[in-house]
Amino acid sequence: MGLMARLVGLLLALSCAGCGPTQVSGPVADRAAAAVLRETLLSSDAADDAEVEAVASGTGWGSLKGRFIFVGNPGESTPLLVDKDTTICSKDGKKLFDQSLRVDPSSKGLADVVVFARKASRVREPMAATPLVFDQKNCEFLSPVLAARVGQPVDVRNSDPIGHNTNISGSSFNQLIPAGAGTIYTPDRETGMPVSVTCNIHPWMKAYAVFRKDGYVAVSAADGSFELANLPADEPIEFQVWHARSTGPNGGLGLDQPTLKWTSKGRFTITIPPDDIEDLGTLEVPAAALGI
Amino acid sequence: MNMHLPVSVVMLLVASCLATVGCGPTPPAPFRLNMVEAISPTAEKDSIAAEQALVPAQQKQVATILLAMFGTPDAPECLPETGLDPAKLRLAAGPVRSDIVGRKNGLYREHCVHCHGITGDGLGPTAAFLNPYPRDYRPGVFKYKSTERADKPTHADLVTILHNGIPGTSMPSFGLLSPTQIEALVEYVKYLSIRGETELALMRYFFELDDEDEGRLSETREFLVDEVLQPIAEKWVAAADAIIEVPEAPENLDLAVSVAKGKELFYGERANCVKCHGVTGLGDGQANDYDDWSKNIVKIEGKLTSLAGNDLDPAERRWVADFGQVLDGEALRPRTIPPRNLRRGIYRGGRRPLDLYYRIHAGINGAPMPAAAGTVSPEEIWHIVNYVRSLPYDFDGELGVDRSVAIQPPAAESFAAQENTD
Amino acid sequence: MNRLVGMFWGLLFLAVPVLGVATFAVAPSINVWLPKDVSAHGYQIDSLFYFILGLTGIVFIATEVLLFWFIWKYDAARGDHKAVYIHGSQTFELVWTIIPAATLLFLAIYQMNAWANVKMRRPDIPPTVEVVGRQFEWRLRYPGRDGMLGTADDIHLVNDLHLPVDEEVLVQLKSMDVLHSFFLPNLRIKQDAVPGMKIPVWFQATETGAFDIVCAELCGWGHYKMKGRVTFVSRPEFDRWLERKYAEQEATQPSIHAGGEIVAN
Repeated sequence: MGLMARLVGLLLALSCAGCGPTQVSGPVADRAAAAVLRETLLSSDAADDAEVEAVASGTGWGSLKGRFIFVGNPGESTPLLVDKDTTICSKDGKKLFDQSLRVDPSSKGLADVVVFARKASRVREPMAATPLVFDQKNCEFLSPVLAARVGQPVDVRNSDPIGHNTNISGSSFNQLIPAGAGTIYTPDRETGMPVSVTCNIHPWMKAYAVFRKDGYVAVSAADGSFELANLPADEPIEFQVWHARSTGPNGGLGLDQPTLKWTSKGRFTITIPPDDIEDLGTLEVPAAALGI
Repeated sequence: MNMHLPVSVVMLLVASCLATVGCGPTPPAPFRLNMVEAISPTAEKDSIAAEQALVPAQQKQVATILLAMFGTPDAPECLPETGLDPAKLRLAAGPVRSDIVGRKNGLYREHCVHCHGITGDGLGPTAAFLNPYPRDYRPGVFKYKSTERADKPTHADLVTILHNGIPGTSMPSFGLLSPTQIEALVEYVKYLSIRGETELALMRYFFELDDEDEGRLSETREFLVDEVLQPIAEKWVAAADAIIEVPEAPENLDLAVSVAKGKELFYGERANCVKCHGVTGLGDGQANDYDDWSKNIVKIEGKLTSLAGNDLDPAERRWVADFGQVLDGEALRPRTIPPRNLRRGIYRGGRRPLDLYYRIHAGINGAPMPAAAGTVSPEEIWHIVNYVRSLPYDFDGELGVDRSVAIQPPAAESFAAQENTD
Repeated sequence: MNRLVGMFWGLLFLAVPVLGVATFAVAPSINVWLPKDVSAHGYQIDSLFYFILGLTGIVFIATEVLLFWFIWKYDAARGDHKAVYIHGSQTFELVWTIIPAATLLFLAIYQMNAWANVKMRRPDIPPTVEVVGRQFEWRLRYPGRDGMLGTADDIHLVNDLHLPVDEEVLVQLKSMDVLHSFFLPNLRIKQDAVPGMKIPVWFQATETGAFDIVCAELCGWGHYKMKGRVTFVSRPEFDRWLERKYAEQEATQPSIHAGGEIVAN
């Protein structure tokens, strides 16, 4: 065949090639299921397929306590990079150190572990009237974890001679706190897991905040001990455990313990008899669970 | 065989071949799932783990629910609870075309899609070339508005942004569009934002499931509409009630006096403006912070880097690989957000004294700019506004450097002393 | 077969002048002709355009008809002419070089006045507005009450240019980033906005109304939609409009809609 014919043939082939339909990437929605679901959502019938939640019939109250112990070598905490206001942002002239892992040298207690109830049917305590204090000094937040109840006023203070701004992520609270003064912040929304609290002027400052509707949240003290009082008795309550350095999902801290069944998300369920103090005893946290 | 076609016939054939080259029929454009969130569904990206990622079945469920609740880019649906007007949505949605009365439809696709993307994710084809990046509506965070920091923008705020554009960015002014068209576009932006927020909420709910839910969200009206959609839609409706109350500017004020007071506040310890905006007002006080959209990606990248050296099991390794791929395809490279250079006279959220008052009072949602409302009084905010407005015309002295404020040198000696004790 | 082919090509070439003239004849009635001219001096540009169109039109038709005639008459299929080979003709060459050169020279001199009016004879008036081209919008700055550009009372707007009618207007044209071109089709004004230069543009409108501002120099992906609107109004109305825009720019309270609802605008 002549060159001309070959050329014509090639051109004909190219013209029919064009572009095919573009490939759709990512998950493809199920159209039929969506149509059915749409009908459900538009119907104005009262949802009669809603699960009726088991209303707890108990009236008693109990407590939960325990002590977190760190097993292993916590290592040295790293110094923070302080590049601003260096004379003020230091502790007695010394550097500032990362506070995310605090292990008591003598008792090996692990501080700043957050334990909160995921859902409780009733609450005993009325809202605390005096504001919780959340302070910062020497360009450090004095409480590594702020735990409050939704609606409880928090006095965000600044005890430094310089200004700070406190930015609670996810809450749109990002306020300048004047030196030597404070601002009252009332959380209006529950956080899922604890969220970070930072300062935009001094970016090394870091703490966490957790707000719960029922207020059943505790933070372990320096010796690792925590107590949650006035929990509703006679109903299974699921608790979530969290630590800033935990390698679990969302910071959930799941332990391997003979007495309780812990999920991989760091949760356990327990029913507390009325007027009982349920003592979980010593809860060992291996170094690997905190990524060390 | 020797075919010898006359040149003329050959040329005609060539011409007709070229004319038929083209594309096959284009399929309708789909919404894209928020894959970055699907692989790390959580509000707090400091601690994310492989187990949290949504499996394909779960991703499909989210896509199906969104299709049921919000429809497609060509055929948008909105439940009555969203408070949106379906007629306006229809005007803005779909391909660009004229309807039966000759009115132009497909406004979003004509004007907005190439930057803001078909899903409103700020990932349109031109987005990568822009600085700053176009807005991602999906988290429901908007910067320039007249409401308190945590609240949504009002309808009028969004109309103003479309009307004036955002000076200093690639967001143009759409003031030449008719009011009906602007209304339709604003409605569609709200629709995309509500849809995006619903998508995020649904993805984050997977973490809240109990084991007996078997990894599937409940598809009841009670859950999807009352628990997930309602709070989101309500915030939009409530925006109109959250407008910042602006007291009248002090009357009979000598401008020079006000500017001097404002300067004192600007350099003072209460408002701390110079810490970010710099002692020169050029925005050079700080250069390493991120806006919320970039912060998200930075945290994820940090997590991936920290995992890189460790021993990972195959599932984790696959997750890290997936993540890398998603970031490449679905996220723009994060950029630090510089504090505004106040000497240029370019104000993104508007140049009226009122606009500057809003920015200082509530800060800028989504950006590091904090709210000064609790710290300085309204009258003091007006003084700062007057000082800021004078900065572009302040030609005395060298960039107005305030010599009365000592610029701190780094305390080299104190660190040197510490080095020896470590 | 070859005779048909020869006729085909001849007629094809004839179609060019025929369709060409037909297009120009029909154009004004289907609205694809020159945009409406509302400027005081635009007629100079238009008349130059018509003059050159006429001149080149005549030459075009003449050459095309001649081309067709030669294809037709000397068609090889008819075979009654034998080609004659010549060594060129100096007379021909001189004629068809000198005549076009003279025409061009004439045109160059003929248009100098129009060019000077539009580009060189700047009126001695202060700038009415500063137009800064930016990807992809026209940023406007009016001098404000003190009459000086670059002071705190300037009025900043985007894309919506208002100007007084029946008055000579001076626009100071700048660019913030790349080359743009300030094109007012209805005033026959087109001037490139060159980064780093401050270029004066002047014109006078004779009619009120809203007309297009278009960007006429490829400036990036948004060049196609870099559109503005210029509105000509009477001088008192222009002053009132400017006052209103200044007041809006200095607002310290949100404006209230007729229905009592606060709008931030």
